[in-house]
Amino acid sequence: MAKKVGADRFGDFYIDGGKVRKRREWRGLADTMYDYSRWLKIMTILGKFVMNPRNVKAMFRYRWMANYLAVPMMVDRHTQGLRGEYLRICHEEQDLIIDDVAKLLNNLFRGDRRIGNDEEFSKKVVLVDENEMTTVMMGFPNLKGLSRETPSTYVSVLLNQHAAEHYIDVAQEFGLAGDVCPMPEAEAGVSIDDDAPVLGACALQCNTTCDGSLLGNGVISRRLEKEDGIPVFQIAAPLRHREDDVQEYAAQEIRNAIAFVEKHTGQKWDWKHYFECARRVNYATKCRQEWLEMNRTPYPQVFGSNLALYTETNYMAICGKIPEFERADRRITALARKAYEKKKMAAKEYRHRAIIWGVQSHYYMDFLVWLLNCWGIVPLTDMLSMVSTRVLKEEDTPENRETAYYDMAWLTENMIMRNRTHGGYKVLLDELWEYVEMFNADMVILWEHMSCKALDGMHGMFEEKAREKGIPLVWVQHDLFDPRIISRQGVRDQINTFMRTVMNEEPIDPSLEVLHDEQSW
Amino acid sequence: MSKPLKLFLKLLLAVFGFFAVTFTVYIFNLDMKLTALIEPVLLKHYDRIERDKHL
Amino acid sequence: MCTLTETHRLTFVSFSYKLNLYSLYYPFTRSTHPNRCTKGRSWLFRPEREHTVKDLKHLAFFENLLLEANNELIRRAQDEGRICVAYTCENTPEPLLNLAGTFSARLRAPRTGSMEIATYYLTSFLCEYSRALLERAIEGGFNFADAIITPDGCSMMNRCVENMELLSALGKGKDKFFYEYMEIPMKADDNGLALYTVQCRNHILKPLAEKYGIDTSEKAIRDAVAEHNRVCELIRAIGDFRKEENPRITGYEFHLITLATYAAPKDLLIPLLEETLEQLQTREPDEKSPFRARVLVAGSEIDDIDFIKLVEECGAYVCADRFCCGSLPGRDPIVLTDEEDALTQICRQYMYRGQCPRYMDSTKMDNRRIYVNDLAREYGAEGIIYEQMKFCDPWAYEKMLGSHILREEYGYPVLAVDRPYTIGTSAGQMRTRVQAFVESIEIKKIQKGGANG
Repeated sequence: MAKKVGADRFGDFYIDGGKVRKRREWRGLADTMYDYSRWLKIMTILGKFVMNPRNVKAMFRYRWMANYLAVPMMVDRHTQGLRGEYLRICHEEQDLIIDDVAKLLNNLFRGDRRIGNDEEFSKKVVLVDENEMTTVMMGFPNLKGLSRETPSTYVSVLLNQHAAEHYIDVAQEFGLAGDVCPMPEAEAGVSIDDDAPVLGACALQCNTTCDGSLLGNGVISRRLEKEDGIPVFQIAAPLRHREDDVQEYAAQEIRNAIAFVEKHTGQKWDWKHYFECARRVNYATKCRQEWLEMNRTPYPQVFGSNLALYTETNYMAICGKIPEFERADRRITALARKAYEKKKMAAKEYRHRAIIWGVQSHYYMDFLVWLLNCWGIVPLTDMLSMVSTRVLKEEDTPENRETAYYDMAWLTENMIMRNRTHGGYKVLLDELWEYVEMFNADMVILWEHMSCKALDGMHGMFEEKAREKGIPLVWVQHDLFDPRIISRQGVRDQINTFMRTVMNEEPIDPSLEVLHDEQSW
Repeated sequence: MSKPLKLFLKLLLAVFGFFAVTFTVYIFNLDMKLTALIEPVLLKHYDRIERDKHL
Repeated sequence: MCTLTETHRLTFVSFSYKLNLYSLYYPFTRSTHPNRCTKGRSWLFRPEREHTVKDLKHLAFFENLLLEANNELIRRAQDEGRICVAYTCENTPEPLLNLAGTFSARLRAPRTGSMEIATYYLTSFLCEYSRALLERAIEGGFNFADAIITPDGCSMMNRCVENMELLSALGKGKDKFFYEYMEIPMKADDNGLALYTVQCRNHILKPLAEKYGIDTSEKAIRDAVAEHNRVCELIRAIGDFRKEENPRITGYEFHLITLATYAAPKDLLIPLLEETLEQLQTREPDEKSPFRARVLVAGSEIDDIDFIKLVEECGAYVCADRFCCGSLPGRDPIVLTDEEDALTQICRQYMYRGQCPRYMDSTKMDNRRIYVNDLAREYGAEGIIYEQMKFCDPWAYEKMLGSHILREEYGYPVLAVDRPYTIGTSAGQMRTRVQAFVESIEIKKIQKGGANG
């Protein structure tokens, strides 16, 4: 039990083969009381959630709801070893995301024909793809853009590493090849397994992020359209998003999507609301840039999973639509500035400055925390956080309204991950080395999501470039949603082996090197 | 002992009691240990639900 | 007219297993020995039957042509000073690559063996087609190409060509060589058409004109379409013989001929196709068809001639080819009117007829299965084989959906298989599955009481 950063042996918190950890950390009185108060807050959010009978009904209807039993543990995994401002930044982000997901679930079950069956509410719901920038909802203040896949698969796997396995198996039972990306595969499995809430006036799908995602949507839309009678519009975001000659097409897709939503909901696009959201997107971009700027110095503040998870949520799912995220941005930036001025560190020793590239393992999102605590590797930034920094038009003028379509299209094309995995090798391969230089990194950790064909297809070139530049590059293979293929320990072993044999180093916290967490949430 | 003081002490005791219980649950991770026991029961329940499983 | 009883029929079914095993020892492969005698190889090899059908005059030529990526006709066209434009995906409008002074060659890697170097660059998770192409490119096997144009049809194909570019694997000693990547629509609508047209203009016509001085005028495009259509008409006419109850051409022979039209300059093939059609008009098939079932093959890229051959060796006549490098709809003529520019019309027809699973709008998705059903009816298919190359994401999903829908909603017996790029490496497994499928079709026919009348 230690107040001092890095004084604990974190491996001692794990129970061999157990689902949960022995106990929570003692972080010194102030930080423990803070963490305890945030835990109480989370328990209050969860308590309120289960007070609603329709949520309880949903709990007994949808298999993926069982994963939400693990919410507090997800927070614990990400706050491991954190003190002071780092702990507060993490809670600002995680707690807000939890609150947002709880609201999303509440809304889904309210409109769900099987659960709440609130038809009037359902008419104001537009189902959106999980892998989709929600820019086309920025001008519909009276509509709810709800994603079914976000709580059923995306968040579920963050909560419980085994959450998607059942759905992957269901999809494969129906003949889907086992080599496709398990994320759209699991999403398709949820649909096949009849385990998705049914609601909404219409649905928007998108070809982001990849071939698998595009085709997986085909499985989902079939059931939505033919069985549930929910019309679907597919937004086709160009793959070669850096090219000028695709932008008109992309903008027209946005116009068409807006027209589709207007037609099926009877709502009109509200420019005033759009520009208000755009202003918030710009503010989020400004904050993110400031955090990244700090991360270029020896005292990074918002980094690792704090940066990754929050950026994914705020940039993609929120898109300026929810004011609470702007307030969180402000508070996080203030905390980061404070810690930066005091030259604070998140771990007792920073040995390496790493850029994390590729598609991270979703079932092991707190790997970045482990990396810092076990080996002193600072994950300065990751591929999914290096998203668009374009400033959107904020003022409502006729010219800006026209530009706004291109802004929305640009954001849609530049969804997290696909802005790197598609659009030619320059955005994936060349820009990595620019960031290595910019962030003064001495190491690249390259997630190799084995079913991500766009990423795998640059394997050899990454290695050649790393050799050419003299930068140590570590491959970390995983299968995104399926820990049965490569376990969390399998992920860690790849780093352990590299650090010991190539870098000839010993871990900072040897108790973390091997953990028997195969059964863990 | 005056009535307000009694009330205050009762309140203090209640707050302390709440703190003692919840902090024990928090620090020993009892909430997660409990939910870990619930999960297998729920999974069995999900397996029993009739589903319209198809493409 | 056969009048087999059910018992006889079942005996024949089990006997046929042995015959097929026999054919493993006596395969009618042209394989890797171009100098081997080709006589008698084109018709299905059946030791128990005497074949009277005459070989097609040019079949051996087609077979040999397909043994090399840099084939005889490509060399001949280049000797004439023409520019070879390589491409990799069916979504690249072919007539635009076949303007006066240019010709197209769809990249293939026949006789692929080891793919170790490409596997290092692309990993083993990418489909073997993309790896085989990269391997061949690194080996220098595609140095004949003067340009390569590829759409981002799928991630794997895109990465394959990008690796070629990064490794400078193509265009050695060719100053004007260029790589072009195209965005192509994922939905068939007006917006998609506008994109397609712009992309073809910017990434095909413009570089061809600027780098090689090719005439890309309206007239030049219309001339190219006319030549393209002539090939399509010939392939269609040849392919129509597959509709016959006792067809005079095997699916294997037809596949060879069709594949040649993708892999070699079209104008040089026209006389050979004309002669083949003429010969077919008088060709007499065996009195009794050696096949036991008629199947339609649908799915991803098949440029390995052994796959169709294997299916036919197992007794399934491939009466329709709905796959990339097949004739349906790849060899549908392009109908041009004078009311609109040719480029837009070409793009529209490519977009609306395209059966690539990357088209994601609901209408297109539904139409893919409707199209397979229509073809199966038109060509008299009794069963459908959905195939996908291993690791192909688009076809993995389409195969799952298509096979279920065609089975559940349209009532066809369906076999869904995945396969390597070259079937030679897993022929045994595939043979077993196709044989079992053929037998299941036969049993169904017997159960319906309709077997052979």
